Amino acid sequence: MKLLEYEAKRVFSDYGIPVPQGFVIREPGEIAAHLSEFGDAVVLKAQVDVGGRGKAGGVLVVDSTSAVDRARELFSREIRGVPVREILVEERLEIEHEYYLSIAVDRSSKQPVVLFGETGGVEIERAAKEDGSAIRRAVVSPLLREVPAFLMRELLGSAPRDIAPVINSLYRVFQERDAMLAEINPLVTTPDGVYAADAKLIIDDNALGRQGIEVNRDLSEREREAGRHGFSYVELDGTIGVIGNGAGLTMSTIDLIDYYRGRAANFLDVGGGADRERVMHAVRLVAGLPSVKVILVNLLGGITRCDEVAHGIIAADVGVPVIVRMAGTNEEEGRRLLAEHGYRMVDSMEAAVRAALEAGE
Amino acid sequence: MIYGDRNLGVIVQNITGRQGRFHTELMNAYARETGWRGIVAGVAPGKAGMEVDGVPVYNTVKEALAEHDATASVIFVPAPAAGDAIMEAAYAGIELAVVITELIPVHDTMKAIAYAKLHDCAVIGPNCPGLLSPGECKLGIMPAHLATRGEVGVVSRSGTLTYEVVDELSRAGIGQSTVVGIGGDPVIGQTFVDVLARFEEDAHTKAVVLIGEVGGNLEEEGARSTELPVVAYIAGVSAPPEKRMGHAGAIIEGGEGDARSKVRRLSEMGVPVAARPSEIPELIREVL
Repeated sequence: MKLLEYEAKRVFSDYGIPVPQGFVIREPGEIAAHLSEFGDAVVLKAQVDVGGRGKAGGVLVVDSTSAVDRARELFSREIRGVPVREILVEERLEIEHEYYLSIAVDRSSKQPVVLFGETGGVEIERAAKEDGSAIRRAVVSPLLREVPAFLMRELLGSAPRDIAPVINSLYRVFQERDAMLAEINPLVTTPDGVYAADAKLIIDDNALGRQGIEVNRDLSEREREAGRHGFSYVELDGTIGVIGNGAGLTMSTIDLIDYYRGRAANFLDVGGGADRERVMHAVRLVAGLPSVKVILVNLLGGITRCDEVAHGIIAADVGVPVIVRMAGTNEEEGRRLLAEHGYRMVDSMEAAVRAALEAGE
Repeated sequence: MIYGDRNLGVIVQNITGRQGRFHTELMNAYARETGWRGIVAGVAPGKAGMEVDGVPVYNTVKEALAEHDATASVIFVPAPAAGDAIMEAAYAGIELAVVITELIPVHDTMKAIAYAKLHDCAVIGPNCPGLLSPGECKLGIMPAHLATRGEVGVVSRSGTLTYEVVDELSRAGIGQSTVVGIGGDPVIGQTFVDVLARFEEDAHTKAVVLIGEVGGNLEEEGARSTELPVVAYIAGVSAPPEKRMGHAGAIIEGGEGDARSKVRRLSEMGVPVAARPSEIPELIREVL
């Protein structure tokens, strides 16, 4: 789950990383009380989770005297389609130089990787693509609690030494807060020292519980509903409802629909143990999508009980055709039950997809 | 076959849980079919002295290994304790840990894999169906009845999709040497590169089916690393673009990470990529 900039900055600050002085407002009027603590200019930063926020007008440097009006204006806007509900008001930093710093999970080496660039800012991805040496990288053993000095020297090159403690603090944040990504872009030097001018923190969804996060804000209401039943669920824009077990098989089913020029309405992975109850909930959830004309159920596994699945489909009793492909135990009983209630069971994934396309026409 | 044969001694961690118990029974049934030694001991803290499917249970891996000759463990320990269970196995001398558990926090996985490596223990998974060498042994939850013995290796990030492909191969009369599900998590122990290196050393494996998914570039790394003929299938070509992980994801992985560009890169390497699972048997015949 992604944290907002100000939430990430609070975490960074707790770990001793200097962040600009600032506060969060939810109404323009809230600025006035704090303005005396700032200089002639302040920075208004819309707290929206979108890429290219600055270019889209979500970050404004404004004169203190007009700050309330400019904040009102920002609250009334949408940044790349996202309404602005909170604004982070910050002191304006006297920036001497911008650097790039991030720590992420490196799938290839199976370890944390620290990335450091001597030039930071919005163009960092392009710069990295054009010049492979623009970003230095160091993988750090997950068994270590800090970045070893020799790696630190390699990362920093000629950059100021006082960045090193920031890297180690961010590494602690990364480890202790179960981060998938901790990023400071830009990390800036000023006459007063080093600051995290921006902050990004993505927490591992599998660790939200132990991080004290109860609700995953990245999910829609329907996705959360699906999650309560133990399903992975994504809405798409077609007419064929798809229910499968296992992410790979479900994705593959959707690809096959696409191959035959059809369009899936959703992705629903029922997860392990497709019993009567779960299948019924899954079928009802997908049938509830207004665009769905037919539902394709594709379940495969040594331990899937086909009679249980059949009972679930029959109990769901939905108004659209349901095409079933399943393999497992008690196949014959499942087939008999489905046939009795007017549902079709087919033997292969290909046949199931073609049958669903016909039924959906 | 790779990772082990009929002589492999295997323990199950959390053998008294619902999944552990159920799959111990299925693995032992397979052992009776093939003559494999099967599950020789189980581990469940506080449950020493119990038996599951005739298998004696111990409190710790160390205690189990003091009484039984085993080098592999299948782990069904719930996510919060799974990282610790991997480290316990590695410390006690287990050489191969197959981790079925899903939803393990990625930092736990990274630490456990790094620790296991220090103890020369290979980790398959987490969040995987395990491995199956038809006619030899089965470590994990794969349905054995779909597989047939033969000369094609299968390595996959998926679970049920692997069963689909194995079924297609078997129906087409193409047997498998070993089927390995390496797991769908961002960080996994054995990657395509590691499994392909084992297949390359295996005299029984003549070609490999590589089943990948959207995200990362482990499939390309794997295909590039081997001399064996490889046929690939990538799931997720019609999926909407993955949620991006800030700038770091793009910088680390270089490519876009989506399935279509993955298919393109594999094709550019000369790897035949099936558009549908049903095309795999034909493509395999062409490279054999």
